[in-house]
Amino acid sequence: MNEDKLKALLQQDMNLRDAIRQEEAERPQMPADLNARLMQKTHPQPLPAKEGGKVRRLWPWLVAACVAGVLVVLLMPPRETIGEKDIVAKVEKKEEKKQESKPEAPLKVEPKVTPAAPAKRPQQQRKPVAPTTAPKQLIAQEIAPIEAGNKQVTVSDEPTAKSHELTASTKTKMLTERDIPITRPENYKYTPEEIALMKRQANEAYLKWVELELEIAKHSQEQTAQKD
Amino acid sequence: MTETDTNLIEGLRQQSPKAQQQMLDRYGRDVFAQVIRLVSVTENAEEVYQDVFIKVFKHINRYDAEKSSLKTWVSRIAYNEAISFLRKKSAPMVYFEDYGDRAEALSDTEVDETFGHANQETVQLIRAALKYLPPEERAVITMFYYEEMSLKDIAYVTESLPSTVASKLSRTRKKLCRIIKMLQS
Repeated sequence: MNEDKLKALLQQDMNLRDAIRQEEAERPQMPADLNARLMQKTHPQPLPAKEGGKVRRLWPWLVAACVAGVLVVLLMPPRETIGEKDIVAKVEKKEEKKQESKPEAPLKVEPKVTPAAPAKRPQQQRKPVAPTTAPKQLIAQEIAPIEAGNKQVTVSDEPTAKSHELTASTKTKMLTERDIPITRPENYKYTPEEIALMKRQANEAYLKWVELELEIAKHSQEQTAQKD
Repeated sequence: MTETDTNLIEGLRQQSPKAQQQMLDRYGRDVFAQVIRLVSVTENAEEVYQDVFIKVFKHINRYDAEKSSLKTWVSRIAYNEAISFLRKKSAPMVYFEDYGDRAEALSDTEVDETFGHANQETVQLIRAALKYLPPEERAVITMFYYEEMSLKDIAYVTESLPSTVASKLSRTRKKLCRIIKMLQS
């Protein structure tokens, strides 16, 4: 069958042509997004572009965060000054406490204690403020003979002068952070200088207390003398 | 070949997305129709369609303008992909087969009368008979009667000779006529 005859058949076979045309018309149409899906499959969107977009969105925030950090570092006061302030406040409070408890302080520290002995056991001396019953008894024993032999004990001005000198020396000395035992771990052990200072303060307080007692005794003697 | 075709082929060779989109817009519908004619199921046809154009974009350098038009070259790829898909994934189907003498026994006049005289009832019978044809034969007869392709182009698409296509067309006409007779009886 040659091509010319076939061309004639193409014109002749009306029924066949119509049937095929109807069949083709009823076939499902191509989905509208098929080409788009194919293009997406053929040319997947590059990830770096997306990442670039994210970077572009993120970088202003990163810059703002960096600037804020720099400003905080520049504008905030140095940590040392803050620490010193706090510590100074603590020291002042402790000094006040010490001053308030000075009349009772001598109860704890005995004047006979040598400075070399407690250096070996610093932890035991870390709580000098804690009141115990034993020192009170000791001090009571010491006070009793003083009160009894008021006349025998001649209190000269020398101890008071010494005490004034001591107080002056202690007042001039600035308490630093290192002097406060609780603030830093390296201060858990007292240095010999600190122990000496504490003893001096204890002696001074003791002498003040003795002076006060003597004055009280003198006053009572004068009153009894007046009565007689 | 027109200038637009030359530009399109050049763009495809450079893997230009614009040229590829143009290609899809120009030949997409015809290719999909050709594929679904053979594959029938839409999801499978979509898969084959995508494979066809991926192959077209990939092997555009193999296209020879002297051998065929761009459309025929794309049709050939689509036909081969669809037939390969049917052979690999489709369940085997049983189609109507002529047994030599009985098909040949029909006279040319009888066949011409069946297809020639306009009759709506016969059209419906032919439509029903088309379903009994194997996909390859249905594709050939559709290419000839519906797409009005030349024997040379059909031969290029089906990778055969024009004379083979001509004899295949003649045999398919008679086979359809035989199926119609069978359906009528």
